Amino acid sequence: METLVQMSFYSFAASSLALGVASLSYMLYAVGRVRVRRATMTTSTGTTVTSSTADFLPGNIGAGQFGTLLTWFGGVFAFLAVLFRTIAAERLPLSNMYEFSLMFVLAISIMYLIFERIYGIRHLGAIVATIGFGMTLYIWSLPADLREITPLIPALQAGPIMTAHVSSAIFAYATFAVSFAAAILYLVKSKRNIRWLPSLEMLDDVAFRAVTIGFPLLSLVLILGSVWAHDAWGVYWSWDPKETAALFTWLVYAVYLHTRTLRGWRGNRSAIILLIGFAAVIFTYYGNYFFGGLHSYGGV
Amino acid sequence: MAQVTVANGTPSRSPVEIMIDRIWRFFTSVRVAVLEITLLALMVLLGTLRGSDAPQWMANAAPALQPLVDSWYAWDVFGSPIFAILLAVIAVAIAVCTVNRLPAIWGTISAPRIRTSKGYIERAEVKASFTHAGTLDELRQGMESIFTSRRYRFFTEQVGNDLHFYADKNRWAKLGTFPFHLALILLLVGGIVASVYGFRDTNFAVAEGETQSVGHGTDLSVELVRFTDDYTQEGIASNYESEVVIYDNGQPVEEGSISVNGPLNHGVATFYQGGFGISVDLLIDGASGRTLYDESLEMGFFNFRGNPDAPAGLIRLPSEGVQVAVVAPDTDRANRPDLDTLQLQSGQVWVQVAPLSTSDPDIEPVTAVLDQGTPLEVGDLTLLFERESRFTVLQVAYNPGIPIFFIASVLLVGGLAATFYFPLRRVRGIIHHGAGGNTLTMTPLAKRDWGGKKEFFSMAERAGERFHTTPTIKRPDHEGNWHDDASQESDDEETR
Repeated sequence: METLVQMSFYSFAASSLALGVASLSYMLYAVGRVRVRRATMTTSTGTTVTSSTADFLPGNIGAGQFGTLLTWFGGVFAFLAVLFRTIAAERLPLSNMYEFSLMFVLAISIMYLIFERIYGIRHLGAIVATIGFGMTLYIWSLPADLREITPLIPALQAGPIMTAHVSSAIFAYATFAVSFAAAILYLVKSKRNIRWLPSLEMLDDVAFRAVTIGFPLLSLVLILGSVWAHDAWGVYWSWDPKETAALFTWLVYAVYLHTRTLRGWRGNRSAIILLIGFAAVIFTYYGNYFFGGLHSYGGV
Repeated sequence: MAQVTVANGTPSRSPVEIMIDRIWRFFTSVRVAVLEITLLALMVLLGTLRGSDAPQWMANAAPALQPLVDSWYAWDVFGSPIFAILLAVIAVAIAVCTVNRLPAIWGTISAPRIRTSKGYIERAEVKASFTHAGTLDELRQGMESIFTSRRYRFFTEQVGNDLHFYADKNRWAKLGTFPFHLALILLLVGGIVASVYGFRDTNFAVAEGETQSVGHGTDLSVELVRFTDDYTQEGIASNYESEVVIYDNGQPVEEGSISVNGPLNHGVATFYQGGFGISVDLLIDGASGRTLYDESLEMGFFNFRGNPDAPAGLIRLPSEGVQVAVVAPDTDRANRPDLDTLQLQSGQVWVQVAPLSTSDPDIEPVTAVLDQGTPLEVGDLTLLFERESRFTVLQVAYNPGIPIFFIASVLLVGGLAATFYFPLRRVRGIIHHGAGGNTLTMTPLAKRDWGGKKEFFSMAERAGERFHTTPTIKRPDHEGNWHDDASQESDDEETR
């Protein structure tokens, strides 16, 4: 078992490295290049005049492709890290913040690559891969004893329902990260009109599609959590801070969907709601650090 | 100055009608709905933060906020009337909106308008057109074939010299919004049903060998046969389990075990494993020799100031005007050893007999350490510590809202899936029959649907291939620059 745990950790380390370099590559691709041209003229009086012009150009396509390749590596190594740990623990690694975050790195890699494939745009990677890399840095910062596999406490021994509940949360948060990235790029593009970024319409659609995946998943999180709570605690809703934080997140995305589909909001206003939504996701994700209550066994 | 009087041709409405109309408009307003959800989100945020140290951090940073923060901590947001009113308003708004939207949506599904206008297609952001030299019927059949192959239904209507057509798919998914919103109402109804008709006892403690009545109008009682708690080698709890016998009207009707995540159902009641603790079997006789107490005292529901970490219990004896505090040995290695001032050994309990009323000066508190099996006179009482046993803390609940909750869950997820994954796609077009052939122009109703536009372009190209022509396709400009202003809020022609 020790060997598998070590292999899982080494795979995670490789994933972390791959995502770190991927985020840099994507940034180079998304930010673009500046080409400075200098012209020197000599006047009839013999005076030399030098002028400079700067051209802003799309980023190197190779950097974007390299980013994609490394995100694939990051995803595959994250998958291996999860796989080895699953074999060692004989369950999916979902019981503490180390395991949860490891799964998140895998989920965000998968969700990003799906969106990149469907829409054929790599610019989102500058933000999504950076979030994935940031999550790996968070994992590095966790106490080393969380890397050890420990038996589940009785409250977490809920087999399929725990797997479904926590996995739904991870994939919901990962897709919200994609919508967050699209919202950021939308705001940048609408302010600066950087021509090589994807069109505003496409960015708006990416954000919306990501929410249409994340929102039902988050609904499932609340429902499955309620079913589990009913079995474990005898009540399906306890107004526990972690529950209500997830409800808050759900409501923010409900506002986004209502304003977009019924009020016809789009553009900057919708993008700003998505930023608030992702802030709510982070608030819920790291809630274990400052909430008490029934979810305090998250092991931070 | 000339005065003009305008006579209103329509009969004036009564104040009641005006009031009803205003209320209806209030509840059907999308702007108000968004405001309600936003308010709810803010209240949920306030309630969530109340369960954290965040408000106190704010007060520490700005001490002037301390009174506000104290009020915040004291405010039971989720139990407050304003929160209940807001939920009720949202539930009513959902119901009213559903009724309000149903006719329009049903119209789109059952009898869509086929006829369109040239101006509408002319002004469309996205459109496609081409000319076909063949017959009108060939073109109509070809287009119908292209649309139906993509699961669209296809309608035509002759308008003068033009043939108008309308195609749509996933029309039934448009109804997905109704189960979703109905689910939200049902969740609230489930909660109300549970609180009105159900019961929940979170502190149902039963000691080993004892039987406790469930109450709440039932004839059920529970005997705890044995409680077991298992630990791993690392000292981590691996299982808590209560073996119980359930009695109905005093007759044993069910035996079983209750564990965390493994509740036991009997009749209307469900038993959940909550906690556990140790209990002390005590026999207390009064000065007259009369037995005052002969029960198992559950420890842990009371903290003794002298040793707050240790399991403790309290017995009130009003007939004697005293209370007996009992403290058992502190065996939990996780507890702070410096707080264990009593240093009790296994087989011992510490007792303090004190007046019920602290203002009674006639009875002085008396303390003693009892050894198991050895009676001891403490004040006017004779106490016998018979043995130490275990007790379990169960939750007993009857929740008639659960079936409603499960139905709501299915409706919620199903409604969302139908709405998001089967979007309504619509295309309108006109085939103009002229001397030079038939000119087809068509446009998708997909103002905010990038995927819908993509599918439209694909179908337009497919039509070009079929009719051996190159359609003129107007796509959104590369930048897709739309304006973030109110004029853009008008939706496609039919969605309001």
